[in-house]
Amino acid sequence: MHRKSVSPVVVAALLVGGGRAAWGQVVTASWGAQAIPALTETNVVPGDRSLGEARVLLPVAMLHAAVLGGRLRLVATANLEKYTIPHGELAPGNWGESFEDRRHPHTLVHELMLVGGGSHLYVAAGKGFVPFGSDDPMSRPAVLFPVNHHLSQILERAVAMAGVRVRWVTLEGAVFNGDEPVSPGSWPAWDRFGDSWALRLTIRPVAGLETQASTAWVHSPENRPGAGPDDRKTSISARWERGRWYGELEWARTATADGFFVFHSGLGEAALQLSGHRPYLRIERSDRPEEERVFASPFRTRRPLFENSILGITRWTIVTAGDALELRRGPLRYAPFVEGSWIGIARVGGGVFDPIVFYGREHGASITVGIRLAIGMPMHRMGRYDMSPAEGTAPMTMPMDHGERRE
Amino acid sequence: MTRMKWVHVVIGSLAATACAGDSGKGTSPPPPTSIVLVDSLPIPQNYGIHDQFIRDGLAFVCAWNTGLLIYDVGNGIKGGTPASPKLVGQLVPSADSVPGGAQVHNAWWFWNPNTNEKKYLFLGQEGPGTIGASSQGDIHVIDVSDLTNPQEVAHFRLAGAGTHNFWMDEANQVLYAAYYNGGVVRIDVSGTLSGDISSRLIDTVSFGAGNTYTWGVQLYNGSIYAIDMVSGLWHLNASLGSLGSSGGGNNEAARYSSDLWVANGYAYTGTWDHFRRTGLIGSLLKVWQLSGTGAPVAEDSILVSGVGAVSDAEVSADGKLLMFSTESGPNSGFWFYSLAVPAHPTLLDKYLISSGVHTATFATIGGRLYAFGAENPSGAALIILDVTGLDQ
Repeated sequence: MHRKSVSPVVVAALLVGGGRAAWGQVVTASWGAQAIPALTETNVVPGDRSLGEARVLLPVAMLHAAVLGGRLRLVATANLEKYTIPHGELAPGNWGESFEDRRHPHTLVHELMLVGGGSHLYVAAGKGFVPFGSDDPMSRPAVLFPVNHHLSQILERAVAMAGVRVRWVTLEGAVFNGDEPVSPGSWPAWDRFGDSWALRLTIRPVAGLETQASTAWVHSPENRPGAGPDDRKTSISARWERGRWYGELEWARTATADGFFVFHSGLGEAALQLSGHRPYLRIERSDRPEEERVFASPFRTRRPLFENSILGITRWTIVTAGDALELRRGPLRYAPFVEGSWIGIARVGGGVFDPIVFYGREHGASITVGIRLAIGMPMHRMGRYDMSPAEGTAPMTMPMDHGERRE
Repeated sequence: MTRMKWVHVVIGSLAATACAGDSGKGTSPPPPTSIVLVDSLPIPQNYGIHDQFIRDGLAFVCAWNTGLLIYDVGNGIKGGTPASPKLVGQLVPSADSVPGGAQVHNAWWFWNPNTNEKKYLFLGQEGPGTIGASSQGDIHVIDVSDLTNPQEVAHFRLAGAGTHNFWMDEANQVLYAAYYNGGVVRIDVSGTLSGDISSRLIDTVSFGAGNTYTWGVQLYNGSIYAIDMVSGLWHLNASLGSLGSSGGGNNEAARYSSDLWVANGYAYTGTWDHFRRTGLIGSLLKVWQLSGTGAPVAEDSILVSGVGAVSDAEVSADGKLLMFSTESGPNSGFWFYSLAVPAHPTLLDKYLISSGVHTATFATIGGRLYAFGAENPSGAALIILDVTGLDQ
């Protein structure tokens, strides 16, 4: 990330126009914002019907600031989905935080982290991502989230972490609160801080290649008072990003209730930067618990829970392909896109849940069209605070920061 | 083959009774009768309250990971009344390595007529499960000789399955337990109970692989009746050396079944429709005629719209009043029916609670009839209603 040395007088103007600024040599700051107006249509809907919805997805504002030559950094991200998708985003297979077949809205304060340290040692604390798993789907090519979001990332927690980096190996550890958000306006249960932990080992053997293996113990994620069963989570991934190519392979496993319920996920995705175009492909197979839907909405499950039973496990196989046209007008970057998915649903093991009864089908499709709008700094790699000051806060060059732009 | 002579449809405050095959004209709803809320006792939100067992003016509240709470609701030991319950004692039993903690779900206070002991309380632990397929959870035996200081003294585990509702043959010192995918188990609970009592298993009965997920069991006139979520209502023969099916079963294919109560020569069973087995809406309270030696025969059915389940059913001791609880929907709460004609209950009144009632139990205290209910979280509470006015 580049930084400019300018007087405070012009900071405001830079903030408005460019997204990066500096207060002399003392404070550097970057900011950015994005939103994705999109229309999704799918025939994988409870009740054997089709449904289309237009919503503004992922409306976020980011602020990164640094002092002491980058040795103390603030990473802040506000997510306004509380206002744009209060009832979730139509997304077959997505689940978590009492939503099913809709992606839940993220919390208003998505990240608010203080990161201190240098190239070899860092500490961080605040509300944000736990060092576990792969990058948040928000900062990856496809717009619709994969099914494995709650298997492969742990986010929006009160977290304290530390990391050690020796050459191309980084080891991070964290403690955090196990409870997941109960609403887009909620904060972590502070009295539960420290009841869960995570470890992640990252190896970057060559430029562009990053591999990680991580494990986490999450206490009672779905019951805020702490009465629910625990999750033992594991994730392994390899990520390649260099030149025009981006790709990732990941595998994740979550064992709930001492392994009484086990959920697996495998995912591969790739994107290629062409002249002004960015085609991408994602192939995923992930398990999902099936819970009772509430009377008021077939897209919601009961919270708070009052028992630990599920209706079964489904395995979702989704192939998603899309293409985005990356354009620019002044400081505004905009990328019209189209994204389609083929969706297969299968039962795993026993249980009463039957996709034929619930959806009227075992195969379906979805299509999403929309436009990514962005200004300022590109979306950073959410889930990574281990970059050295020289690397800033690790911007994600995909999906918005590569390639030729047309004025 | 299921035979449905009568269908009642209950929508909101309307109650209509129609004889199948006739003109379908409804009758006017009966005049409202009085239900008096005498108390709503808050229960900690550790999944709230699942069930309650009331005997001799004591309420044994099964409050999940909060454990067992014993309240004086008219016994006198602590000066409690239904309107002002007083905590007598409490206990969090061991988790027994079952994921999720103590998960106290249901209870039975064993009054042994052979020894006159009132020493043991059996607690059911409802561990994680996949409905229709798998379950976990043990039976915990609590010594309540000192009600102010209950102590766990024994436990029972059935490998590969978890327990649900109980019934006791107290005279014969036998505990029957519904065991979800394990069917029905019969356990010898005579004498002193200590440590692991798994060896006291007398017998089990299953209704077939993929066809067994048993919710409840009841002893009635020497017969055992079991309600299975998957395979419906069964009549079991308990008099032989081993438990065996003597009739019924595979008699409710359109819905998953839930609780049962047997009285007046009829069985009253609910349906669990949190996930619909077919496209049928609402939940049923079904009435079955019992012959005592053969298969139950479906006699009547009450459809309650706007709920996810008829979660519990019970008939008052005098056989006059049927109560069932409902949850997950705008018509959640307590429902009360007259059993003037036991085969065809008629709606008397209801008491709706938006968060739902998971279980409901009758108790007679001080000459008055009360309904105790487990209100679901959030706002979990032990609800106590005076329903004496309905029991005419």
